[in-house]
Amino acid sequence: MPKAEFLSRIEELWIEFPSASGAIVYGDSRHHAELAYLTNFTPKLEPALALISRFGPPQLLVGGGANMLAAAKPLTWVEKLAPLRNSGSVVAQWVSEVTPSSSPKARPVLIGSKSAPWALHQQIFAPLGPEVVDVTLALHRRMRRKSPGEIRALSDGCTSLNAAVVALVDAHGSGADVSTVVLAAEHAARRCGAQDIRSLFSLDGGRTLHPLTATVDYPVEALQVYLAVRQLGYWVEGFVVSTNAASPTLTRTQDVLRSAITSVRPGRRCADLARMIADGIMPLAAHPVTAKECGSSLGLMFGGPLRLSADSDDTFAAGDVLSIRVGAANERGGAIVSTVVAVQDVANSVLWPASR
Amino acid sequence: MNVDDRRIAICQRMAAERLDCVVGIHDGTHFIETHNPVMVLSSFKSLGPAAAVLDRVGALTLIVTPAWDAERARGGCPTARVVGADDIVEALGRELGSIAGRAKMAISGLAAVSWAVASRIASAFPGVPSADAILFDATMTKTGDEIAYARRATRIAEHAYQRMLEIVRPGLSEDELAAELCWYTRTLGAEDNFLLLCSGPHNRAVQPSNGRRMQAGDIVLAEITPSFRGQLAQICRTVVLGHAGDALRRNYDLVIEAMNAGIQAAVPGTPMSTVCRTINSVFEARGYGKYCHPPHIRRRGHGLGFASNQPGDVSLDNNTILAPNMLFMIHPNQYLPETGYLLCGEPIVITESGADALTAKQAALAQIAV
Repeated sequence: MPKAEFLSRIEELWIEFPSASGAIVYGDSRHHAELAYLTNFTPKLEPALALISRFGPPQLLVGGGANMLAAAKPLTWVEKLAPLRNSGSVVAQWVSEVTPSSSPKARPVLIGSKSAPWALHQQIFAPLGPEVVDVTLALHRRMRRKSPGEIRALSDGCTSLNAAVVALVDAHGSGADVSTVVLAAEHAARRCGAQDIRSLFSLDGGRTLHPLTATVDYPVEALQVYLAVRQLGYWVEGFVVSTNAASPTLTRTQDVLRSAITSVRPGRRCADLARMIADGIMPLAAHPVTAKECGSSLGLMFGGPLRLSADSDDTFAAGDVLSIRVGAANERGGAIVSTVVAVQDVANSVLWPASR
Repeated sequence: MNVDDRRIAICQRMAAERLDCVVGIHDGTHFIETHNPVMVLSSFKSLGPAAAVLDRVGALTLIVTPAWDAERARGGCPTARVVGADDIVEALGRELGSIAGRAKMAISGLAAVSWAVASRIASAFPGVPSADAILFDATMTKTGDEIAYARRATRIAEHAYQRMLEIVRPGLSEDELAAELCWYTRTLGAEDNFLLLCSGPHNRAVQPSNGRRMQAGDIVLAEITPSFRGQLAQICRTVVLGHAGDALRRNYDLVIEAMNAGIQAAVPGTPMSTVCRTINSVFEARGYGKYCHPPHIRRRGHGLGFASNQPGDVSLDNNTILAPNMLFMIHPNQYLPETGYLLCGEPIVITESGADALTAKQAALAQIAV
């Protein structure tokens, strides 16, 4: 993303929190969506902290020592990098520096602080006191609405996902064993530039899903696969069933998915869509994987803040990019299909097709 | 030792400390630097946050998220009672709610989970002591299976290194090479690979790869760390794109000498710190003493998880006494001012008489004709 986009995101933060003196953003190798959203930086080994003041350039404190700064530099638009050391005192010092004399009670906001491990949280955030609040959920609401640049990144991910599915179906159709099929999909995504790819597959007709932890050197006729692809920092996902046999369960899920795509529109309640999907697959039972949630928003976090479930209070909005899943179980297993949809005011855009 | 023996040892320790149960908690993100108490207790590698509860007679309850992963967990840990859940803290509350306040329990893994989870657990079970020592002391030595898996993972790493030598070239980006190697290790049976791969004419450290395109004359550093059935192994290798000059060859011979000295020093009954000190002494003797400490070097090796990283780092402050069936890395991995950071390292298992490297072929400086 261009630097201007990050600056715009930060500006929106100040608009939402007009009395904030700055923002302290935590990220580590496991939880970094917010840090990446504001600085483009994804910590790979040790944690990182962004200190973003309202006035003046931000700084990024990078764990791992001074020798790691050169590796961090190309990964962020932030120019001032320093080692993450004595973080408690450094942060406290920074907080006092960014407190304007005209507003001595102004405080920074915290983002991602609750993802820090206990000891680090006690060292950095707890001493700041209860008046310094964590506003991660508010940022997540903003992160839901994707910019054109983000939609392009997600589209790139969907291109890789599509390549993976094509490779998967081709390998499966040629009679390859399950390991070969799954790895063909992963390789195709990697060759398209995917930074990471996760896969799950079923050996029991779609009933249960497994990661590839041991070689499966035999084919299965109807292969249910889940793929998640991370590209340019953004996650997309897809469920697909590769089979030559007729499957009423699969056909039903595909039909319901097509209806779901057209029924998503700004302002509609997520819970209504979830109920529509649940009703649509009846009398089949909901698949265990999709019974509680039939999708989520996509983006920098794996399984985004918007959850599509019958008890959700959320509504769809233009700018949402969603994974919508439809799953049904039968006595032989089941089927799950999904799609990636960009919600727009006029007509939704399907970034990744429904099942093949 | 097998996993049952380990569980018995944990129960014995529980009895000594009059504990009714120990709880292991993990957030489901499997990271080389983080212990996994759930894997220690169950040998199960979860998809999401998970917990394991071991009572004093050895009965194990395994709580997994997402709930639909329960059936796989039952297959992976057939002796455990498995509970599928959507929220690990709520599920733990339900499991322990009836005994909290009456039973004496301890919890392992809280330090590594997020504050959001740890604070909920601390609130639900106030004043519960840590069980980290109880669990991880029992993992100082690996089980027979873990060592066997480490051997498989080492073979995978060596094959991946061979693949790297076949394809590395100027013009290829670090990311492209890393992606290919990660996929390649998957084809060989590794379910994961913590790969650090970087390049440059003078590296300050080994780092995760980025989009930098490699150039003639670069020194390419690779820590190839595949996992086979949840057990990591690692090899550390250095490749030069082009001809290695005298300084590079001389310095690489030095790091090999230091590594071999460390391997020689790793005998049962010796403190781990001696291994580190021995490696340091090789560099100090050549006038590089200043580079034997941070920021240039933090440790000379480390344990290999995912379940447990015991016996810990090969460092001056680790006085763990080496014993047979301990598994860890010995890697000098040294910054030297003339050439930058250089990698060499082997996974070793301590035997009755010393240290055996798991690799078939030891590290050597590789030169790629360009």
